[in-house]
Amino acid sequence: MPAKPHRLLLDRVSGYADEAAAYLRRRRHMRKPFARVYYPQGRSSDIPSEDEAGKALFRAAAHVIEIAGPPRRPGR
Amino acid sequence: MTPTETGPEVAEERGPLKSPEEAVAYLKEISPELRGCAIIDPNGHVLAATGEDSESWTDPARELVAAADAATGEPAAHVHVATGDGEVFAVRYGKLTAVAVAERFVLSSLMAFDLRAVLRELR
Repeated sequence: MPAKPHRLLLDRVSGYADEAAAYLRRRRHMRKPFARVYYPQGRSSDIPSEDEAGKALFRAAAHVIEIAGPPRRPGR
Repeated sequence: MTPTETGPEVAEERGPLKSPEEAVAYLKEISPELRGCAIIDPNGHVLAATGEDSESWTDPARELVAAADAATGEPAAHVHVATGDGEVFAVRYGKLTAVAVAERFVLSSLMAFDLRAVLRELR
């Protein structure tokens, strides 16, 4: 018996959703720490972590994270 | 029992933010991924922050803003540092700066938007 038309569409959308979810998971696993500074008019600069400026930013970020405390939601 | 007619639920309209404390509370409410935040003035003094000791944000927030400005020698409008322990944002709007820590992989554009929006209301 041929599949109902809406089932085909649902399966296709589910397939796209699964692929998108897998893509986002891979992106999360591969993402490295970064520091990015944005300026007026939309310019931005990636600051390498090896540079003095990058080290200063990551150091400052670590201090701020410490002050902010633990995650509000458990398991995060 | 007579059935009563109920209309659709209408969200309560939020009034304008009147103080940095209200802004911090609002940010906590709308952003479950937010771990903590602070609003600081141009001199680096903390106007309001999450947590019991808002003064504890003073030095780290100043350090972050100074590091962002020193990165290329130009005052930064906004900085985002993503680390393995969380994501840090600092957004400058007018004379105020909001510094926030959020969970990893938070939607950064939305976080920056929310921070800028509250600063705009406080101006």
